[in-house]
Amino acid sequence: MDLENEKIGPAFSAPDSYFKDTESRLLQRLGIQKELLENQAAETVETPVTIAAAVTPLDTLGVQKRARKQDPITAKSQGINKEVEAVGSVVIPPLTFTTNENPEWVNFGAISEEVSGNGDQIKVVSYGDLLSNTESNDAGAPSLNQENIAENITSEIAEETVLEAVNLDQPVTTVETPATELTQIETPASELEILAEIPAELSTVEPSVIVHEVPESVGLDELESYISASVQPTSTSLEPLVSSEVEEPVVVDPAKQVESPSPRIAEEKPISLEAPATAFAPIAGRQHESATPGWLGVAAALAAIVAAYFIWTAIQPPKVDTEQVALQQEEATVPEAPLDEQTPIDTIPDGLQLVEPLIMEEMPKYKEPNVYTITDAEEMPAITKRALQDLEDNGLATFDMEDELFEELDFESL
Amino acid sequence: MSNAQRLSNCTEDELTAELLRDGMSSALLVELVSRYQKLVYYHCRNLLVSHDDADDAVQNAFIKIWQNAQQFKGESQLKTWVYRIATNESINLIRKRKPSIDFDEAQPEMAEMISEDLYLSGDDIALKLQKALCFLPFKQKLVFTLRYFEGLSYADIALLTSTSEGALKASYHHAVKKLEIYLNVLR
Repeated sequence: MDLENEKIGPAFSAPDSYFKDTESRLLQRLGIQKELLENQAAETVETPVTIAAAVTPLDTLGVQKRARKQDPITAKSQGINKEVEAVGSVVIPPLTFTTNENPEWVNFGAISEEVSGNGDQIKVVSYGDLLSNTESNDAGAPSLNQENIAENITSEIAEETVLEAVNLDQPVTTVETPATELTQIETPASELEILAEIPAELSTVEPSVIVHEVPESVGLDELESYISASVQPTSTSLEPLVSSEVEEPVVVDPAKQVESPSPRIAEEKPISLEAPATAFAPIAGRQHESATPGWLGVAAALAAIVAAYFIWTAIQPPKVDTEQVALQQEEATVPEAPLDEQTPIDTIPDGLQLVEPLIMEEMPKYKEPNVYTITDAEEMPAITKRALQDLEDNGLATFDMEDELFEELDFESL
Repeated sequence: MSNAQRLSNCTEDELTAELLRDGMSSALLVELVSRYQKLVYYHCRNLLVSHDDADDAVQNAFIKIWQNAQQFKGESQLKTWVYRIATNESINLIRKRKPSIDFDEAQPEMAEMISEDLYLSGDDIALKLQKALCFLPFKQKLVFTLRYFEGLSYADIALLTSTSEGALKASYHHAVKKLEIYLNVLR
């Protein structure tokens, strides 16, 4: 191989990402910010352009006076730089604060007492209060909230149809009933009357939906006739329910009725009085009656255990016979070919002692250049040095000046 | 045009003149790093073989350049000066790793590290040449690396190593012949 004529590339090739990383690490160690340098340079270039763009100077006498008043330091100064003034007036928009927090999460408890001391003037208005305020006239003058609500209601009524207006009025009247219930709890006799009145009012307001229970055997053609025939019995069957419901509180001891936690419970009771018979009842009865043999469950459990055992054994890795493996390894290490054929010829053997004898055998084959070692080069006269240089330039000889190749390098020498 | 852009368009002579006139600035160092970082890394890598050592040498070299810029006299090219500092840092690192090292002898143990290290080109002949370089004395290895891989002239190498061109030619000649024998024997 002729290295002089046959160029071999470098053995190392680092990616660009490594060099970028190295550069950033190095600049970080030295405290240099590359981006900042570029930005600073850009700013210094742009500054004269901005000043040159200004045409008409502004009258800033008032600004100077204000500055002197506000700041004692600027009061003694010469005023604002004219070049800066020439840029023009700067309008600072009002600051706005935005937050991502949900307003529902605002912690009112965190408000200090000094602020919350005015809490007497703050009225926490709930939906129920609004409704009661529209009804009651106990407060002398109506509050602002009441007025707004009244305006809203009237405007809505004007926009909507008459029928909807009637519906709007209804909630106001129907909501009265809980208030009266609260007052009437202590007197159970009157409560019974009110409870009987509530369904009558509700029936006039809310549209009633009647659900007919039709067996599957009834076809679509027969549906109307079946419903018309079945309406009369259902309406009559409801009447006893209501009457029994009304009659039932009369039997109850008034003292117990007063002890009830809330009037709503007494109101809900009639709904759950008689649950309709469901189709599941007979099936549940049959389940109790069905006699599944006990041995069937035991057999199923045993079958499941056996299946799990087979699955587990199938999952397990095959058992390793260590002796057999060792025997196979020994067989594998036995060379099948002579050593001479197995020795790689294109790898560099480790250690200089393996290569050195080969080199020593080959070294006499190439011609040693005419290298002459000169130890006293510094003391040599200039004419002699020039003569040696001529010999070197003409390729006649090479002189090794023995000038301490790796003396401690210092930067002064360059 | 920013200062960094202006420096990136400068020739090496213009950078040298700027360094001598205004001294080392941050922008100039950034330009030197971006311009000579790869050269310095591959030079140190050829000398030290190990990637980590070469990385340390590169970092130390540019820090020395930043700290000792005022000592640059302009008697050589800027590139030669950078190479010299990188070479000096590589030698310091070798001495630190192995204080009793003799630069007139080879370090064959370095050849064992090549195949397992990072960022190899994958060229077999290049790897063999790199391993063969480890069997050369360090002086010959340095001269061969600067001349063969970096393409520096004998004059620049003479400035860099403070030696005569004749000695360099002889050293390079010895190195080439030894490497050819290595490669012929090991092929």
